[in-house]
Amino acid sequence: MEVKILSAKFDIEGANKLEVAKQHGAYANLDRLFSMEPADVIEEVKKSGLRGRGGAGFPSGVKWGFLPKDTGKPVYLAVNSDESEPATFKDRYILVRDPHMLIEGIIICSYAIGSHDTYIYIRGEYTTQVKELQAAIDEAYEAGYLGDKVAGHDFRVDVTVHRGAGAYVCGEETALLESIEGKKGQPRSKPPFPAVAGLYDCPTIINNVQSIASLPYIIENGADAYRQYGTEKSPGTHLFGISGHVEKPGMYELPLGLPLLEVLEKVAGGVWKGRKLKGVIPGGSSTPVLTPEEAKTVTLDYESMAQHKTMFGSGGIVVLDETVDIVKLVKNLINFYHHESCGQCTPCREGLGWMKKITQKILDGEGTMSDVDLLRELCDNIEMKTVCVLSAACTMPVRSYLDKFRHEFEAYVTADESSVAEAK
Amino acid sequence: MADKIKLFVNGEEVEVESGKNLVDAVSAVGIEIPHLCYHPALGADGNCRMCLVGLEEGGPPLVPACKTPAQEGMKVLLDAEHIRKIQHDVMEFELINHPIDCPVCDQAGECKLQDYYMGYDRKDSRMTVPQVTKSKKLDFGGGVVHDQERCIVCGRCVRFLRQITKTGELGIINRTDTARVNIFPGRPIDNRYGLNVVDLCPVGAMTSSDFRFKQRVWFLKKVPSVCHGCAKGCSITIDHNREKYQDDIIYRFRPRLNQQVNGYFMCNDGRLSYRRENEGRLTQFRLGKNERDMLDVITGCNKEIAHSRKTVVLVSPDLSLEQMVSVKALAEKLGATLSGFSDGYIKTGDGDDYLISDDKAANRKGLEILGIDSSRKSFEEAMADAELLINFNNDLSLSYDESGIRSLLGDTRTIACSTHDDELTGQAHFALAISSYSEYAGTVINCDNVLQHFTKAVTKNNELPDVCAIAAELGSPLQNAGQAYAELQRAIGALSEYQPADIPAEGLNLNDSEAANVTA
Amino acid sequence: MSDRSQLISTGEPFQFDKERDAEFERLVKRYPTRESMILPALWLTQEQEGWISQEAIAYIADRIGTFASKVYEAATFYTMYNLHPMGKHHICVCRTLSCWLRGKQEIIDYMRDELGLTPGKKTEDGKFSLEEVECLGHCGTAPVVQVDGEFHENMDVEKFKSLLATLK
Repeated sequence: MEVKILSAKFDIEGANKLEVAKQHGAYANLDRLFSMEPADVIEEVKKSGLRGRGGAGFPSGVKWGFLPKDTGKPVYLAVNSDESEPATFKDRYILVRDPHMLIEGIIICSYAIGSHDTYIYIRGEYTTQVKELQAAIDEAYEAGYLGDKVAGHDFRVDVTVHRGAGAYVCGEETALLESIEGKKGQPRSKPPFPAVAGLYDCPTIINNVQSIASLPYIIENGADAYRQYGTEKSPGTHLFGISGHVEKPGMYELPLGLPLLEVLEKVAGGVWKGRKLKGVIPGGSSTPVLTPEEAKTVTLDYESMAQHKTMFGSGGIVVLDETVDIVKLVKNLINFYHHESCGQCTPCREGLGWMKKITQKILDGEGTMSDVDLLRELCDNIEMKTVCVLSAACTMPVRSYLDKFRHEFEAYVTADESSVAEAK
Repeated sequence: MADKIKLFVNGEEVEVESGKNLVDAVSAVGIEIPHLCYHPALGADGNCRMCLVGLEEGGPPLVPACKTPAQEGMKVLLDAEHIRKIQHDVMEFELINHPIDCPVCDQAGECKLQDYYMGYDRKDSRMTVPQVTKSKKLDFGGGVVHDQERCIVCGRCVRFLRQITKTGELGIINRTDTARVNIFPGRPIDNRYGLNVVDLCPVGAMTSSDFRFKQRVWFLKKVPSVCHGCAKGCSITIDHNREKYQDDIIYRFRPRLNQQVNGYFMCNDGRLSYRRENEGRLTQFRLGKNERDMLDVITGCNKEIAHSRKTVVLVSPDLSLEQMVSVKALAEKLGATLSGFSDGYIKTGDGDDYLISDDKAANRKGLEILGIDSSRKSFEEAMADAELLINFNNDLSLSYDESGIRSLLGDTRTIACSTHDDELTGQAHFALAISSYSEYAGTVINCDNVLQHFTKAVTKNNELPDVCAIAAELGSPLQNAGQAYAELQRAIGALSEYQPADIPAEGLNLNDSEAANVTA
Repeated sequence: MSDRSQLISTGEPFQFDKERDAEFERLVKRYPTRESMILPALWLTQEQEGWISQEAIAYIADRIGTFASKVYEAATFYTMYNLHPMGKHHICVCRTLSCWLRGKQEIIDYMRDELGLTPGKKTEDGKFSLEEVECLGHCGTAPVVQVDGEFHENMDVEKFKSLLATLK
């Protein structure tokens, strides 16, 4: 089931080095690129149907089209390498195993959108990865693929790596821009959208690492070649991360559209230890959970996920076996989102902490049915009332656990009530 | 005038000014969109989420009104059930970690949380888990005391210090529900406008060490006035009260919105200058060192005046126009030399390009408009052979040191009409207590030629005469401030169509009226 | 997140060493505004000292030409900045979803039982400090432990024991 488009060089020893990467086709497309008109590059990417691989799935070519023309201001490209959504670990492979694919993608994108300055925003936790990425960039500068004349063409591209420092919210594109500007990573209200007023108030395109890294293949082989993978509306391949209770967790490149359970079975070796499946988180921890029954009919693409009232997200699939205590899992999730709330909007800032404490109260055996109801109600009260979707990233999955596994919450509450009754 | 546009709020058509955000646009026609973080002087931040409104047709269904420009034909939902629910929910979130210590909170009575709880929440607390705890009673410097637990992290204070004073002493530290406002250690609030953060704070998180615990705000009488701290003449509200068995005193000055003068703010010096209205006041009438009835002293003064072969009348540049007119009439009547010499009121370099003027006189423009000579030369020449100086509250100690005053006065007899008791009034042959600007109504012109009228705020148990009354007693043909105002209307063309009460709250800008039409 | 507002003062003035000074000057040219240097400068400080003191924050603010409150905000917002000295070896254990599902708690429990070390604390000899952190992006090889910035994947108590033994 696996294909090797993005991951073609991942298993090649030393492919992170320019010399080896070039032997395997890195930077081979630049002459062709510069012979094209930027508008044609955008058109080709639009045709390919490439969708933003950070989680939102917005068509990349369309996004580039939002840039206003001739503003007299520089256009910035920000590469989102903050992948912080729990269960997401795909971009890391690109940074470490084939960074030159990313750099080539940056050159392609820069040329298409008329940008000369790129900032790669990499999460602070990627301590070793940032060094490897920087080493690749240094090599690219030395070889003339970056700098004033990219590969001898009259086009400048400068790339700067900007390290985050432990803030999930900086994966939100405007928080990311704030962070590059030296501020706290607090998302901006939109409008204005970054394409119009982004980094340093200039037109800015923000794309995920994987989206950018997909460009060399599309330019080399054309949109149609890319479209031979995946589905009509979700073309191409994706670096899926499979984690949790499976025999063979890991990163796998797969075309979009494959049946979820089949992938789990054939690619990831099925549920570990011969246990039964309790649920699947399909696209990172913020996506609503699927029950085994629901999982049967899901395929790995944006449309099927939406039909099942969940999301493709980042493609980070987490498998839950029958032993998982859902209430504890929910506590773990809320902990995360509460910890990562930027503290800006009232409902998220105050509400997530409240939800966390209520869940703890239930776990401590001190909860009541009305606490369970309150927890469920707070999901509605917080969601979509805030500048960004961080709060929704918490409330959407928590709501799904409450709705699909409510009996587990009630068990904590009634266990306590019956023990109280016994004591009397 | 800005263009008008029509939009719909709850289905009803309203006409509003274009170019404003929804909060401001509809508030001008009396519709309140609740908001906490938004402040017109600081721009929209959008963090509190209290101003979320619905939009029917087109655009996102839910938008923060502070960030949304009012547009023609917009259909705004404000009292729809789902919007009321959001307002309630946001208030619930604001309050779950709030200490609700209103009984000991200075903000009680003028607190947005209280107002909005009554307006939009009114439910019992559902908070059954431990609250977030933070620090209290933090001394932020500059007279600002902070309570992190009361704070709703709206960031108004932070934005004020970054955008307006550009001193940036405050930041919002941490994230999530441990976010809190703080100073960087060792870099306290240190600017001349810092106390505005107390007004800006919509809740009781920022309190003034000067006002804390002094008075419940609902006891305060609020009277619009004009600050006399410098020539800028910021519009203010005087908050005063007479406690049982006590005298009427002022508890605080607060800036009063005036886009023509000071916007929403005022400086700390001006704000704290209320103290001078309460303290150090001259309340006696004295012959030499001895307290006498006012009439006795007036009689003495009039005898002195009759005997004097050369009299100099000195006015303070702080007096109201009415008072200046009265004193001018007095001087003319007496054939005395009139001077407004007050160089000492000007502290060169003290001012800035915002709300603080070098000139600490409230009405120097008044002297100019009335043609009162203020030069040092003519004042000192007149003083050289003067037998009597009648001083209407001009603080000579600002212009001369001790020996300078001694040689200036020589053996000139002095009548000191003064608001404050100091060494000079102590040495005067006649001392007459007069009311200060919080105790009379009057008109002043600021350094930018904006004329403002202020009303009487405080009524002392022992009411003192104002300068107009004293001048009349000493022989001015103008019997009171009313007559003086009529005289003033003749001098300043722009005033001819205004009675004092009709002068707009934001004042009259004499630069763009027929005020050039001055006949002094 | 716990409160990070309490900064520690060393009582000594801070400045970049020669190497960081040069790196600061090199990096500042990469950005159109000096304020963009806030995060990089905090990183340089942490590289140099292992943690970030009150004096260092003031130094960065003054060096960049911005308000200390802004640098203070960033230093407390971003949780990877250490605002107090860490142990000689700083151990981060991922506590989020996939690592939690695959047994990170056993490693935490081991440190508590064997070293008396709990999250947010240091061992008495100052050799180890422990922090439970949010997702480290190694979910496919969970549980993951990061020691002094190096990742150790597919951990269990046995592997962790032998890892500890290599740390001098």
